[in-house]
Amino acid sequence: MASEDEINLLVIVVDVNPIWWGQQAQRDPQFTLSKCMDAVMVMGNAHMAMARTNKLAVIASHCQGSHFLYPNKSWSGGDGGGNDASSSGDGKYELLSAANNLIAEEIRNIMSKIEVTGNSTDTLLAGSLAKALCYIHRLTKELEVGQEIKSRILVVKAAEDCALQYMNFMNVIFAAQKQNILIDACVLDSDSGLLQQACDITGGLYLKIPQKVALAQYLLWVFLPDSEQRSQLVLPPPAHVDYRAACFCHRNLIEIGYVCSVCLSIFCNFSPICTTCETAFKIQLPQIVKPKKKKLKQPM
Amino acid sequence: MDEEPERAKRWEGGYERTWEVLKEDESGSLKATVEEILYQSKRKRVIESHGQVRLGMMRHLYVVIDCSRSMEDQDLKPNRLTSTLKLMEAFVDEYFDQNPISQVGIITTKNKRAEKLTDLAGNPKKHITALMKAVDTVCVGEPSLYNSLNLAIQTLKHMPGHTSREILIILSSLTTCDPANIYELIKTLKSLKVRVSVIGLSAEVRVCTVLTRETGGSYHVILDESHFKELLMLHIKPPPASSSSECSLIRMGFPQHTIASVTDQDAKPSFSMSHLDSSSGPGLSLGGYFCPQCHATYTELPVECKVCGLTLVSAPHLARSFHHLFPLQAFIESPVENLQGDRFCQACQAELKDKSVFSCPSCHSVFCVECDLFIHESLHCCPCCIYRQTAP
Repeated sequence: MASEDEINLLVIVVDVNPIWWGQQAQRDPQFTLSKCMDAVMVMGNAHMAMARTNKLAVIASHCQGSHFLYPNKSWSGGDGGGNDASSSGDGKYELLSAANNLIAEEIRNIMSKIEVTGNSTDTLLAGSLAKALCYIHRLTKELEVGQEIKSRILVVKAAEDCALQYMNFMNVIFAAQKQNILIDACVLDSDSGLLQQACDITGGLYLKIPQKVALAQYLLWVFLPDSEQRSQLVLPPPAHVDYRAACFCHRNLIEIGYVCSVCLSIFCNFSPICTTCETAFKIQLPQIVKPKKKKLKQPM
Repeated sequence: MDEEPERAKRWEGGYERTWEVLKEDESGSLKATVEEILYQSKRKRVIESHGQVRLGMMRHLYVVIDCSRSMEDQDLKPNRLTSTLKLMEAFVDEYFDQNPISQVGIITTKNKRAEKLTDLAGNPKKHITALMKAVDTVCVGEPSLYNSLNLAIQTLKHMPGHTSREILIILSSLTTCDPANIYELIKTLKSLKVRVSVIGLSAEVRVCTVLTRETGGSYHVILDESHFKELLMLHIKPPPASSSSECSLIRMGFPQHTIASVTDQDAKPSFSMSHLDSSSGPGLSLGGYFCPQCHATYTELPVECKVCGLTLVSAPHLARSFHHLFPLQAFIESPVENLQGDRFCQACQAELKDKSVFSCPSCHSVFCVECDLFIHESLHCCPCCIYRQTAP
């Protein structure tokens, strides 16, 4: 049994790229954003119902920013927010119904109010993960004496990766690894190399779902147990992570490459000047052996 | 030797009236002053980025630990040696975390001699086991600066020119016993471009001042254990590279990690090359990292292949050092009263109760003190700037 003083915090980061979800609704009307949010809410409720000291946070990752769906800034606390929700009359735990209503309202606000500029179908997860880490850090600082907190992050990813965020993403992953925060990933559509690396480095689980409609089942079965309980269960095996680096000139994956000693950029071919930091490299030239001059015989 | 700059010693200055820092407010409470002092100590860490200076990323560092009789002194609890070794374990861990492609070696000196505890290696486990075993050594005799520096030079002078060569000496004794003129050795160190830094545990010694000044290192004397830890951690950040160090393209391999199971047809068990020297039986394993040039197996990275000499790393190892090369700008501090609208930190959603807030210079989002510290020490990227960089 978990001790009374241990708090388990789960932060769910949901990818709500509106362009991808719009296309998804046209491809397959059975699985839309509202169904996805229903599954996420089921997962959140289940996590909070597991123990009284469990905590939850939900972040929506939009292409133009990330927003906290729960807990919200205007939400004053556990007791005061139940004005319209507590009279639901079906005997539901107040906290869960308040959370559900809040999440539903916030996501509606976000999707309707934010104007979409550009038509990127990429998702910028690094910012949401950074905000999740800051939130976890703040909760860790606010603990009372004797309490411990264990946190993990669950990412529900829909759209493809954006290659521009590689460096920020890696910084976030190393920060999470240092604080012993697991990053789990539940991928709906296309495989993501960045998330595979994140899960491998921090020790979390990576799963690409074969059937999107059964999202709630996968979330509850695979991602609900925390790290101690996972050793007792038979879970999907770890994915094979490709750690090869991509060269800076062609973006190909290479096995042997040349690394600039100043700026650590990787090249597939030797070149005399580094394109990133513009340092000229010292090239070892073979020694030129001067031919011996033969002495000309003086004509007698 | 050349003249040293005139520096006023601490006993030559006037009296410091430290009691004047504490000021009472009207009700006689010191709360405001204490909060101010805590706030200032939090802010002390965050600054000092080098800016556009070339850093030495691949470092070869030798740490010389003094094991002479003065290390049995009990002014650091339980005695100086145990305290130093414990801090060294933390140092080795942090060092490999921040500089994954660098190497560290440890030398101890006592009884007028110096000997190597561990060779230059990139694997933290070997060093930590050696440090844990060294707690039992008997501290006897006098240290020898000359012999330990000589021993370090013998390996460092063969290192390639594009790496940085550093020596860190932890010296607790006030004397040193040298077989030859140490000033000649200092000239040799300078010509080999080795940077020597010293952390003194007792008092300032003139030969160390000269040594560090000539080679471009730093010299500090500790006040207490937490100051000792702080000074050690200063050496973890990559130092600015000297202007004469060469830059070259280093050939490296990026092996794939294969996890094969017993039922795979092609999987063949192999010995890991890194365990050839260890006495515990090397296990046959099916998976591991295969060197792309010679297919030797290794269990961990980064490592230098013993068969073909290729340095093997993985891409995240190089990515760990990126934040040194592209440091995050310091945030601008401004009083909280100037803020219009909602007063919430945009990273952790907390209410802003401190007297100043920090805003990022490029995206102008507002953060609280704690988030500012966390972002600069661990995250190294602003959570809101990521969205700006893809905006058209």
